[in-house]
Amino acid sequence: MALPPPDPQFVLRGTSAAVHTLHFSCGGQEPDVPILFSGSENGFIHVWNLKTHRVDVALDGHGRKSVYCVQTMGGKDRLLSQGRDQRICTWDLAEGRTSVTDSVFTENVGFCRCSLLKVAQGRWLMAMAAKATDEVQVLELPSKTSVCTLKPEVGAKLGMPMCLKLWQLSCGSQPLLLAGYEDGSVVLWNLSMGKALSQLVCHQEPVMSFDFDSEKAKGISGSSEKVLSIWSLDEQQNLQVYKTHKLVNAGISDITIRPDKKILATAGWDHRLRIFGWKKLKPLAVLDYHTATVHCVSFSDHKNPSERLLAAGSKDHRISIWSIYSQT
Amino acid sequence: MAVFDTPQEAFGVLRPVCVQLTQAQTPENVARLQARLAAVGAAALQELQEYVLFPLRFALRAPGPRRERLAQSAVRCVSAVLAATRVRRPELLRELLSELSTCLPAPGGSGKPAPQAEELTLAAIEALHTLLHSAHGDVVLSLYQPATLPLLGFAVSSLLGLAEHEKAKQIKISALKCLQVLVLQCDCQEHRHLDADEAQQCGDLFASFLPGISITLSRVITGDIKQGHKPTVSAIRLFYLIVGLVMADAQLARVPKSREKLPAEQSRISELMVHRGPDWSKSTAEKLLLLLRKIVEFCSVHPHWKVRLELVELVQHLLQNCSQSLVDSFSHLLKALVGLVNDENPEVQKRCQEVLQGMAEQGMVAQNRALADVLSENLHSLATALPRLINAQDDTGKVSTLSLLLGYLKLLGPKVNIVLNSMSHLQRLSKALMQVLELDVTDVKIVEDRGGGSASPCGPVGSLARRSQRKYFRFFTEEKVFQLLQQVCRVLGYYGNLYLLVDHFTGLYSESGVYRKQAAMVLNELLAGAAGVGVDVLQEREVSPNVDDLKGTITSILDEYTDQANWYLVTSIDPEEISHERSVQHSKFTAHPGGACSSVLLPSPEPPTTTRTMNSNIWQICIQLEGIGCFATVLGREFRLLLLSALYPVLEKAGDKTLLISETALGTLADICEACGYDSVQSLINENSDYLVNGISLNLRQLTHQLHASQVLDTMLRHSDASLLPLVDDVIQDVLAALDQSYNHQAPAFLKVLHSVTAALDEVLPCAKLDPNSSDTEGEAPLPSHAQLAKDTMERCIHLLSDGHLRVRLQALDVLELCVTVLHPHGNHLLPLAHRAWPALVTRLISDDPLAVLRAFKVLCTLAQWCGDFLRQRFSRDVLPTLTSSLRSQAPASARAGPIYSHTLAFKLQLAVLQGLGALCQRLDMGESDLNKVADACLIYLSAKQPMKLQEAAQSVFLHLMHMDPDSTWLLLSEICCPCRYRPPHASLRPVQLPGMGRQRDEFTDNVLGLLERLRQQESTEPRAGAHRDPPP
Repeated sequence: MALPPPDPQFVLRGTSAAVHTLHFSCGGQEPDVPILFSGSENGFIHVWNLKTHRVDVALDGHGRKSVYCVQTMGGKDRLLSQGRDQRICTWDLAEGRTSVTDSVFTENVGFCRCSLLKVAQGRWLMAMAAKATDEVQVLELPSKTSVCTLKPEVGAKLGMPMCLKLWQLSCGSQPLLLAGYEDGSVVLWNLSMGKALSQLVCHQEPVMSFDFDSEKAKGISGSSEKVLSIWSLDEQQNLQVYKTHKLVNAGISDITIRPDKKILATAGWDHRLRIFGWKKLKPLAVLDYHTATVHCVSFSDHKNPSERLLAAGSKDHRISIWSIYSQT
Repeated sequence: MAVFDTPQEAFGVLRPVCVQLTQAQTPENVARLQARLAAVGAAALQELQEYVLFPLRFALRAPGPRRERLAQSAVRCVSAVLAATRVRRPELLRELLSELSTCLPAPGGSGKPAPQAEELTLAAIEALHTLLHSAHGDVVLSLYQPATLPLLGFAVSSLLGLAEHEKAKQIKISALKCLQVLVLQCDCQEHRHLDADEAQQCGDLFASFLPGISITLSRVITGDIKQGHKPTVSAIRLFYLIVGLVMADAQLARVPKSREKLPAEQSRISELMVHRGPDWSKSTAEKLLLLLRKIVEFCSVHPHWKVRLELVELVQHLLQNCSQSLVDSFSHLLKALVGLVNDENPEVQKRCQEVLQGMAEQGMVAQNRALADVLSENLHSLATALPRLINAQDDTGKVSTLSLLLGYLKLLGPKVNIVLNSMSHLQRLSKALMQVLELDVTDVKIVEDRGGGSASPCGPVGSLARRSQRKYFRFFTEEKVFQLLQQVCRVLGYYGNLYLLVDHFTGLYSESGVYRKQAAMVLNELLAGAAGVGVDVLQEREVSPNVDDLKGTITSILDEYTDQANWYLVTSIDPEEISHERSVQHSKFTAHPGGACSSVLLPSPEPPTTTRTMNSNIWQICIQLEGIGCFATVLGREFRLLLLSALYPVLEKAGDKTLLISETALGTLADICEACGYDSVQSLINENSDYLVNGISLNLRQLTHQLHASQVLDTMLRHSDASLLPLVDDVIQDVLAALDQSYNHQAPAFLKVLHSVTAALDEVLPCAKLDPNSSDTEGEAPLPSHAQLAKDTMERCIHLLSDGHLRVRLQALDVLELCVTVLHPHGNHLLPLAHRAWPALVTRLISDDPLAVLRAFKVLCTLAQWCGDFLRQRFSRDVLPTLTSSLRSQAPASARAGPIYSHTLAFKLQLAVLQGLGALCQRLDMGESDLNKVADACLIYLSAKQPMKLQEAAQSVFLHLMHMDPDSTWLLLSEICCPCRYRPPHASLRPVQLPGMGRQRDEFTDNVLGLLERLRQQESTEPRAGAHRDPPP
């Protein structure tokens, strides 16, 4: 008999709004406490202390407009956040400061999360949906100089970009961008040429989220349908459908592959988290706690594997924290 | 009065009497001399010292049988001379010593002195004493040469003989004092301090006497108790002084390997001399061991405290001087010392404490491996014997045994780790503690005392003065014994290796249910000790454990304590609880009482739930709770970080139905408040509501834990106020959701929570009313959250109104009433709910258990207060007929009934209905026909035959009716009894004729008249417009 699905290890309450994005920062050395950043619909970014399970500080920088993307740049002291106020802000949180150091006006009205890639010490590339509905713009941070703008060919009708991921095969090699579009396709872009290398229609509906494993050159995407699509990238940099996986309930809002590439988690509109083995997409667990759509799911980057966690944020205002490492 | 200050004058005065004495040696002549002496100045006498002494010595040496009277007076006179002068010539000293010694009774063959007059003996002893004080410095030292050994020996043995055999106490004491001076250990300050060489020389000399002196003194010490304490005290003193001198480590270290060659002429003497080489000291130490053991055994229980005090001095002196030479004796000496720490006499106690303190401060044990070994050996054998002793001794004996144990540990100090590192030592010690600390779990009351869960909210933190529950042990009752055991554990924790100890006792804790409670007690105390809380030690430890280590250790113990198998134990036979605890425990072993005698070897698969088991389980939980409180105290504010995991379980237990557990848990909460700096349990709960809510929410997900989760929420609400509601709002929805899924199992528990919730909501109400957009705009505006909560709750209660269990129905009615109160400002929401609740409520009112009827009637009254219009029709249609008919049918019964009737449910029901009916009618603004029905039914209760309370209640109904319809009420009452006649205002009108007029006084008269009087008053104070009826007279 299979073990009953586990309960959350802890539930964080107090955002008083739907939670849209989560990001762990647990990599610090000992006196540093592990931290979870959450962005919620009321425009606040909460900094959760994972030792006390309490909010250390709440950041207010997006004019009370929904925050749907939070990422760290290096340590936990530099934060990047994106909100529905069409701004991407960088924060300085060192020594208790809570100030916005810089911001980019995206002029984009969608809710496509931006993607960050560290290219050198103190230099990042950031891909974001641009003002024109179907364009993606890549900037260099912190200088904010535009690297390129990726426009689909005329008549491609991809629609708005929905989700982005910058990646590179190895450190120093050519950065690439994967983007999921409104029409259900995933496109691989070459940044230096500003040209699409490959396009694959994965879904009939907009791609809500995807994650890509550059080691196995395999990605997985979800949409509002009842299906997960797994696709691969061959040597010639062509995207191909690898397989699809049927789901019981429709609607996936977030997909994340665990950093060790062994399992992945999906956040479902059916209020549930699902855990799959990454290799064969074997369903491992259904985590049922939330009482509304789960918006985001994130794995922690703690050095000690036994302390690594999974967090999910939901429309029900709660963030559930799960410890599933020991079981997988 | 010295008159003659010059030697010449003095000589002139003294010479005649001296001559006279030389010629005729009589006591009278001696007396004459002594009389003259008094008039001579000291300086003059010094010049004439030998001249004066001569005739006296001559008198003493007089040939022939001794004339005692003469000898006595001569000795006294010598003494007087010596007291005023100094002996400056060594020869004189020697001669006088010899001559005075011969005045002592000579030791006979068996050591017994020959009989002699006491006065003479005493005088001789005193003279010797004076002699030794009148000689100074080098002169005295000249006495302590090998050559004088025989002379000294004679004096010593004579004095010893007296000390041992003399009956007269005074002589005994003087002899001992004198001996003390003789061996240069006088207490007075006049003597010159010996330098190391001189001391060494004397030591060599006295070594010859040591066997004699020590054996004799030990006999004196352990002699007949009737001799009084003074000789014993002096003998002890002399014993340790001489032993301390001869066996001094410092001296023995300087003794050359081989014996010194003495000049040939002294060869005979040298045979008497002892060479204090290693062999000698070893064999002497062995012999002294026997004597010391005897002395210690005898003196440590001596009835006189001064003897015991002197024993402490003995130990101190020997430890100080002979810690190497007499190391083997220390086992006994330390035992005596440690044992006397708790002496009944405060001075002994104090001195003992000082000595121990001194030892610890000097690091005597820490630096002396041999001593540490002795102590750990003692400890081991005591630990081995402890269970037996505790079993056999009375409480006083136990106290002394444990004091001993404690003393050893304290003395060992940091060296205690030698003991702990040896597995066998640690095992012995821990097993002994396990056995001694066994609780008595036979008390049925512990299990029977219930009602903790609904205990009234506790007061401020300070009121919880009693920090820990009084425990009852199997082997002792004295609180002092427990305190000692507590100290033992704390001292262990203070000095010992904490990891090792915690590991060991955690092992015992999980090893067997037999040890679990004791091991938990020990663990709690160990941690307190480790943190230095409430521990009394002799010396500071070198390193204190750091907070992180303590926190780590405490976290692991906490995990162990709150593990399901150790936390959810069967503590009652309440089937509601037991099923949960059982299912929680699965296959884990349950705690099993029985102690050492119960067989641990036989596995008992599922022990039956006996009172003993439950009692034992209750105690285990309490001890663990106390532990949590103790850990909080240990960590102080740092404990806040552990609240995440610790607070929820404690609150679970604060809601436990067993009184002892809930009280203990409240104590723990108070401890936590104090340690973490919260000023009340309420602020502790409010500020950590997020942790608790999380626990509740997660536990609600599991059927087996739902009961606990609801208990925690209930406790939170009980100990806090409405300010908590916004914090727990979220989780109350979870409770409702959980209730929806398990009506069958958990309804009572959930209803209890809902009751607390709604009661809290009720408190919020006044504040909510001030909120302008909450009420008036009825309907369209969203319901404020507290009202929404009440609405959700009320919906659940409606279902439960028809539950199969009476208890559930009653609870549901209570909650319903509160919900109605909370919801009343929101009529649009309340009325539909009231409509839905109505059928079930009617059923409760007309065909349920009387208890339910009673409560349902209360709900009805409340409901009437807020939705009168809604109820009027329904009440008169569905309920009123039944109520009135039951009132009518019950009336004959209550009219007949005796005094016991007022305790019956039927009476309470009648009373409640009568008390409430009037107000109900008024609120519902009932129509005339209904009022008539009510009046009819109540009228019979105005009978004087009814119990008084029912009469009063019936009157209250009529008072309400009077307000609503005074006229018809007047008419109705007047028909029963009308005290006066009414004259028509005009002759043409017919005379007023009422049925009540002119009636005989009957059972209704008094009440009716009273009511009519009230009516009259009412009418006169508030005259009605347009009324033109004749006012009642």
